Amino acid sequence: MSELLRVENLVTRFYTDEGVVKAVDGNSFGLDADEALGVVGESGSGKTVTALSIMRLIENPGRIEGGKIIFLGEDLLRKSEREMRRIRGREISMVFQDALSSLNPTLTVGAQIARVLRNHMRISRRDGRRRAIELLAAVGIPEPAKRASHYPHQLSGGMRQRALIAMAISCNPKLLILDEPTTALDVTIEAQIFELIGKLKRELGMGVFLITHDLSVVASFCQRVIIMYAGKIVEEAPVDELYANPLHPYTLGLLRSIPPLEGEAERLESIPGEVPDLISLPPGCNFSPRCPLADERCWQTEPELLEASPGHRVACWKAGKGGNGG
Amino acid sequence: MAREVQTGEYELGAHRTLLQEFWRNFRRNKLSLAGGVIVLFYAFLAVFAPLIAPYDPIEQFDAPRGMRNPMPPLSRDEDGRLFLLGTDKFGRDILSRAIYGTRTLLEVAVGSIAVAMLIGVTMGAIAGYKAGTWVDELLMRAVDIMLAFPSLVLAIALVGAFGIGKIKIGPITLSNIVKIMLVIAITYSPRFARVMRAVVLQEMAKDYVAAAKITGSSSARILIKEIFPNAIPPIVVQASLMMATTVLTTSSLSFLGLGLQPPRPSLGLMLNEARDYLFWGAWWYVVVPGGLITLAILGFNLLGDGLRDALDPRQARRRR
Amino acid sequence: MGTYLAKRTIFGLLTLLVTSFLIFSLLRVVPGGPVDALIEEGWDDPELRAQLRHKLGLDLPFHLQYARWLGGVMRGDFGVSLVLYQGEPVGGVILERFGVTAQLALLSLAIALAVAFPAGIISALWKDKLPDHIFRVVALAGISTPNFFLGIALIVMIGVGLRRDWGVGGYVPFGEDPWGWFLRLLLPAIVLGTDHAASISRMLRTAMLEALGKEFVLTARAMGLPKRELILRDGLRNAMIPVITVIGNSAGALLDGAVITEVIFRLPGLGSLLVQGVYARDLPLVQGVVVAAVGIRVAVNLLVDLLYGILDPRIRYGGGS
Repeated sequence: MSELLRVENLVTRFYTDEGVVKAVDGNSFGLDADEALGVVGESGSGKTVTALSIMRLIENPGRIEGGKIIFLGEDLLRKSEREMRRIRGREISMVFQDALSSLNPTLTVGAQIARVLRNHMRISRRDGRRRAIELLAAVGIPEPAKRASHYPHQLSGGMRQRALIAMAISCNPKLLILDEPTTALDVTIEAQIFELIGKLKRELGMGVFLITHDLSVVASFCQRVIIMYAGKIVEEAPVDELYANPLHPYTLGLLRSIPPLEGEAERLESIPGEVPDLISLPPGCNFSPRCPLADERCWQTEPELLEASPGHRVACWKAGKGGNGG
Repeated sequence: MAREVQTGEYELGAHRTLLQEFWRNFRRNKLSLAGGVIVLFYAFLAVFAPLIAPYDPIEQFDAPRGMRNPMPPLSRDEDGRLFLLGTDKFGRDILSRAIYGTRTLLEVAVGSIAVAMLIGVTMGAIAGYKAGTWVDELLMRAVDIMLAFPSLVLAIALVGAFGIGKIKIGPITLSNIVKIMLVIAITYSPRFARVMRAVVLQEMAKDYVAAAKITGSSSARILIKEIFPNAIPPIVVQASLMMATTVLTTSSLSFLGLGLQPPRPSLGLMLNEARDYLFWGAWWYVVVPGGLITLAILGFNLLGDGLRDALDPRQARRRR
Repeated sequence: MGTYLAKRTIFGLLTLLVTSFLIFSLLRVVPGGPVDALIEEGWDDPELRAQLRHKLGLDLPFHLQYARWLGGVMRGDFGVSLVLYQGEPVGGVILERFGVTAQLALLSLAIALAVAFPAGIISALWKDKLPDHIFRVVALAGISTPNFFLGIALIVMIGVGLRRDWGVGGYVPFGEDPWGWFLRLLLPAIVLGTDHAASISRMLRTAMLEALGKEFVLTARAMGLPKRELILRDGLRNAMIPVITVIGNSAGALLDGAVITEVIFRLPGLGSLLVQGVYARDLPLVQGVVVAAVGIRVAVNLLVDLLYGILDPRIRYGGGS
């Protein structure tokens, strides 16, 4: 299995008036060519910033300060803007959360897809339009020819998301990044969208980088999971392993807050406290203020991300010592 | 009981930091500070005009033997009086006229804005509070109609209707200045009405108003005690920007001869007279009144813009 | 979109109706009625007065007066000028003068747009850098400078600088002398245009910045689209809507600027007509011009509404699937 993406020690910071925000603080991970990697965490954990960093879409006051992003053997951080423009939308594509605000309200859906096609490939207007309609059909939109002439506000939420996906896969990218693609949709539509993404992934042979805060989505769709907290990766494992054997207290907390499929939940626990301010972080483990197991060492020294078992890494001094696993 | 005390404390804290926040934002923007300084300068000029102006603005001085009025800048007459900017063709000191003219301009502007605010804010508050009813519809249609007239055209038409100079309505005589203030107030009160109504609507949707209603406060009390303080910032911003417009309209009216009448010193009128003085090459007769008017408008614009930016809660930090 | 436009048209006509009523009543109710203007001061002849009142129809009850006037208006008869153009129909005078004002307005709008668009876009793209700073200062100065000041200052500078009589002031019809026509309209158009340009470019800058900050621009960038495409199809296209509003406001108020400019440059347009009418207390004339001013604004607003419909698909095709 060839490795599609390898991120090493990525550091991205935002220089705001209130201080320096360490959005991504030295993270490393990999993604294989036809793997679906789930990235889970609360808002502010750095998941979106990681994705934007990969796409080199970080703007002032943000800056990618260090690390490497190796995509198909080449470091993206050393590429020129021009080269990146050729990669975006063609080799790596990204789908954002809110489809309505992600689409230009003054252009038809078909036109927006077609212009991406014409930008990356030399095709005529007519072919571009034809291909756009084909893509709309491929993502399961009924009456694609009619829909292509519609404006974004004329489509339903689910259809808009499909159209966005159509735009993203139009040039057969090798890597597809999805940032909470279904948070704004209801559950039935969500299921359909993921079915679609799965199908496209198989047919086109894409790697998928899925950002979500919803562990249940990860369970059904992804092969591996990364849990992020306050800018750092705290745990990484294959999905089954994570559910069977969660090691980090934060992961445990997340899992405990999902109601079980069968039987009654005795208590849905939420993790006490709040997400920390990324400007003023504790010297040690970022999670220590909220962690029931935290001790002096946790407060003072940052734990490293270490391999606990093959394919399963965790950054915690108390790994595995939190209550019953799963 | 305890909850009441809590809300009170919360409010106090919130207001305090709001003011501090505002001042911090405002201070950072150099342009708005400049605007503030300019406005203060004009206020100073207006208040202390009699002390600053060297001469009486309508007093006519004779030119020294061998010369005629108008005199160029830095001339002296036979008694040794220095005229920094010279005199006009009637022998009146231009500098003093400019200073007093500025004072009058500001008087009219402030007066008209005050009246406009009074009318407009009241209208807007009523319309907003009774939003959706026929009262609201009626008031807002009236506002729309008033706004359908281009402002200067409306002001001119009103002057045309009332007459130039002082006027008599039945037994009451209105001086020219008061008439002008009224004309401009009428012209610009619709804008205040609109702003106030929008603010009232916004605040009405908030929880503290619902809370006040539940605890049985009367409508008037709610309006005055709760909503009004929150309405002050946008109204103040609007007032500052309207001051700029009012100064423009007033001086335009004077320029056209429809506003302040001679011998009263008026910057707009001076600019009109300046067209004749070009024959004598008196460029300063154009620049001084024109510059004073422009600077005043600029100052109020900067101040208004700065106030608006400083009060805008959208200056929140960006986080991803 | 048809219903949308129809609604706006009806609203416009209603506005016109009500404003004309307001002006009508104002000019008759307020002291210094129409008759006083015609009678020399001190000459108090009650019979003459009564005669004039009858002639003007002022002895009729108010609502009848209004009905009569309105009826006339429907037929295009705005009454007759009493003082300035003794006996001539007001409507005719207004129409004549309207041409000049319209030419001035169009020329100034053209100049304004030619300056405002590049300025607004450039300053948005170079936000907070030198071009932006310069722009913001200049634009603010442009807004703050009264056009009478600018006009006179320009006349002085041109007169002194060129040392030649440029032929400032007065109007030459296009048919007679195209070059002369242009020269004489150029300065006033520049003066009028500065105001327009300043407010349009400011709004353009704000609207561009706002549009470029939107999520769909990020998506477009994420798809690798080049800057030019982003600026034109994503930024500008979405910025046009608020900009059109400002252009409409400016144009609707064109008579405001025209008044001063026409007086300074001695152009025989509607603006100078209004001022002359007020001086002469020629009430039917003033009435007619004010109604025309509102009519212009209403017409411009309708045009803007039409443009909205064209530019914003959300208005053209309302509603979802």
